[in-house]
Amino acid sequence: MNILNMDKNLQQGGEPVKITIIIPTNAYFMSGIRDFTLAMIKNMTNFSEQWAYRFQSVVDELCNNAIEHGSLPKQEIKVTFVDNPGDSIEIFVEDAGTGKSKLKSGELHNLVAERSKPDYAFTDIRGRGLAKIVAAWTDELEFVDLPNGGHRVRVKKYLKNPTLSQPIPGAASLDPTHVVLN
Amino acid sequence: MAQITITVEDIAGVAADRQIKLVRFAGQLDESNVDEKAKEIYELINKATLPFFMIFDYEKLEYMNSKSIGYLTDWYTKLSEKKGGIIIANARPNIMDILQVVGLTQLIPCVGTVDEAKAAAMK
Repeated sequence: MNILNMDKNLQQGGEPVKITIIIPTNAYFMSGIRDFTLAMIKNMTNFSEQWAYRFQSVVDELCNNAIEHGSLPKQEIKVTFVDNPGDSIEIFVEDAGTGKSKLKSGELHNLVAERSKPDYAFTDIRGRGLAKIVAAWTDELEFVDLPNGGHRVRVKKYLKNPTLSQPIPGAASLDPTHVVLN
Repeated sequence: MAQITITVEDIAGVAADRQIKLVRFAGQLDESNVDEKAKEIYELINKATLPFFMIFDYEKLEYMNSKSIGYLTDWYTKLSEKKGGIIIANARPNIMDILQVVGLTQLIPCVGTVDEAKAAAMK
């Protein structure tokens, strides 16, 4: 596990703090990522402990999807945390683009939307992570197709009331892969 | 790799028309171990001949991922089909948070102590 980049302007003048971690595509490493997420959110942001635990789950679910569906074994995924002090936390997860899932970002968006419906009946052991956990505990969920055939998933959670941070009317609605959750 | 231990004990003093087991979880359930550990619970369920109730003591469960939620739902369904069930006891706040966000607290009773769970299972 390598910490690729740590921004030096830590908490100075409200500058965003960005941390990127590259991990092998193996679930073995996820407990370490969860520990890091919990500690980072608790110590570096103004989010509550409850939210620190929630981001643990969000990161875990996103990484598991990137490993299982978006990548092959013995490859790498990239996790990036961006803390915008006093405003929000953004998390990006990129897969290797070599996994068995060939869904495009628009299809992923539709999948999440479908599974997020209150009356959706899950019939499998799997499938709850994005719709039930990630979507519920973030204000924005975006899927982007990467040139390597993979995906970058971006989530964002605003520290304050998310209704204070709505996107420009009309702009996000034109992009089917950009989901703004209230 | 996340560590998880599961210990199982029979509950004494149970009526002859049912079986109750206390299952204690300690550690974290995630993608690295949940599939393997789930087999232990399925074994218990498959061996049951009477209506079977399982009390899941989550006091020392630190984390559970969405797949473990899926297994929990499947176990509940299988036990309910045999007129049994699951009761969760002692879950930590972050675990309760996960159970609530996926809607499982509307399906599976969650109580504060193992004693409360035993009393509910014996009714």
